[in-house]
Amino acid sequence: MDFDVPPSPSAKIDTTVPVSARIWNYWLGGKDYYPVDKEAGDQFARIYPGIFDGARASRYFIARVVRYLAGEAGIRQFLDIGTGLPTQDNTHEVAQRVAPDAKVVYVDNDPLVLAHARALLTGNAAGSTDYIDADLSDPEALLRAAGKKLDFSRPVAILLMGVMAHIGNPDEDDDRVAQSIVGTLKAALPSGGYLAVYDSSDADPALNEALRAYNESGAAPYRVRRPDQIARYFDGLELVEPGVVPIQQWRPDHSPFGPPRNLSNNLGGVGRKA
Amino acid sequence: MPPQGCRHGAGDIAGPPDTGDGRAEPAAGYEAGPTAMRMLLGARLRKLREAAGVSREDAARAIRGSESKMSRLELGRISFKLRDVSDLLGLYRAGEDERGTLLTMAREANAPGWWQAYGDAVPAWFAPYLGLEQAAEIIRSYEVQFVPGLLQTPGYARAVLEIGAGDNPALDVAQQVSVRIRRQRVLHRPNPLRLWAVIDEAALRRPIGGAAVARAQLEHLIEMTRLSHVNVQIAPLRAGSRAVADGPVTMLRFPAAELPDMVYLEQHTTAAYLSKPAERLYYWNVMNRLATEALPPADTEAMLRQILREL
Repeated sequence: MDFDVPPSPSAKIDTTVPVSARIWNYWLGGKDYYPVDKEAGDQFARIYPGIFDGARASRYFIARVVRYLAGEAGIRQFLDIGTGLPTQDNTHEVAQRVAPDAKVVYVDNDPLVLAHARALLTGNAAGSTDYIDADLSDPEALLRAAGKKLDFSRPVAILLMGVMAHIGNPDEDDDRVAQSIVGTLKAALPSGGYLAVYDSSDADPALNEALRAYNESGAAPYRVRRPDQIARYFDGLELVEPGVVPIQQWRPDHSPFGPPRNLSNNLGGVGRKA
Repeated sequence: MPPQGCRHGAGDIAGPPDTGDGRAEPAAGYEAGPTAMRMLLGARLRKLREAAGVSREDAARAIRGSESKMSRLELGRISFKLRDVSDLLGLYRAGEDERGTLLTMAREANAPGWWQAYGDAVPAWFAPYLGLEQAAEIIRSYEVQFVPGLLQTPGYARAVLEIGAGDNPALDVAQQVSVRIRRQRVLHRPNPLRLWAVIDEAALRRPIGGAAVARAQLEHLIEMTRLSHVNVQIAPLRAGSRAVADGPVTMLRFPAAELPDMVYLEQHTTAAYLSKPAERLYYWNVMNRLATEALPPADTEAMLRQILREL
């Protein structure tokens, strides 16, 4: 047996420019980031202080969606694209709490994220987790790799949580590429499969301003989209109630304090392929 | 362990002098029990002090101690006297609930650790590691010479510890083996420790204790890596990984958000406990480089089987 050592040029950890997964880890109160990431995260927060609450709100949304999919919708296979660094309530933990036999395949292209995922995002005995080193900008290759790990003849849920913003050019109002990528993924879904997405809308000038500075920091650019563009990801699918909404309003957990106020500009939803 | 360590117990077991910067502690302070509780209590006290706008110097005066003692208390490095905690809570004008909680924590923090029953088999500079290991949620380690202590068989551990004992007849190797095996309970408790180890291929090819012992050890390693909370990556001989670390490194992560990671570096007769931000960052980066350059965990079993065949 031959063991290929992975240190390809892409396997280098870049500590000189901020990296989205590490900045998110900082915003979420984690311990896995470099000084350059904290700097970028703080700079962002100076313009848009809501980001800390917003980051948490997006994690809660993911947890509610995965709980719904593994529970009510009966999904046992998940393709989580844009894994991020391990945090509380990672996708497989939420899914396997509801359905111990759920299988989660994580996809990322950041070497640090992949190393952490392989070592720490490991499932229980009944279910399992797996990992794919792939880039969302090449969905065909991503799906080829996923097809070796998941059975696409049975229902699969594809998660695109906060990753679509890395697609496309932030200077252009053109989401043709983004819609085409989502289209390719939707086409791969079998009947009864699900697509779950949240993405950032351009509705808040403060967020847009914070992103302008962020995109100059050397980090991979992050772009916001119009609400109608986000809604179009679900074209051709049956939207699960309540549709594409601010993520805090998507099936919120019961709270004695009433419905949560809007903490972020993220819009999200879940669609089912008929 | 040094976790692997052949080293602990190799010679003089006196603790290093306290430099006051967290690199080393007086042995006496480490006799206190559950380390995590102490660290949490220290962190809570520091937050309360800062919120109350009290300087470390003034706080130290209130408990008749030095600023350095105060600093070590807040890092959870030395044991708490209930009277000191009570005086500090008064100074910080802590509420009744807070006072009750923190005094309970202080009592629990003073409970003896399991290792105290093992006497000299646990040198003073190593005892704190045992408390930290028990408190940790994730341990990342890099091993150059040996299989990590938490994954050793009794036979392999004995061979390793005999190397470490050298000519010192005073050392009770059997007792040290018992300590090492007792430590491994952290991997079998209900909410087990997550171990993420990078082991140099050379360490796995060295027939410590002879072929039979080494073989049994490799087979045990294969068994252990089947646990979802044990992840081993092998740094192949031809990878350049070793350039980034010239010796074993252990990095501990604790469940509480306010507790920073701790780096543990073992030497022959002492150990360093590093927790300053720059030190943590340096070693975190080292561990990240090692993990990204080593074989992925999915290749570990096949590689171990190959080494077994070639042993």
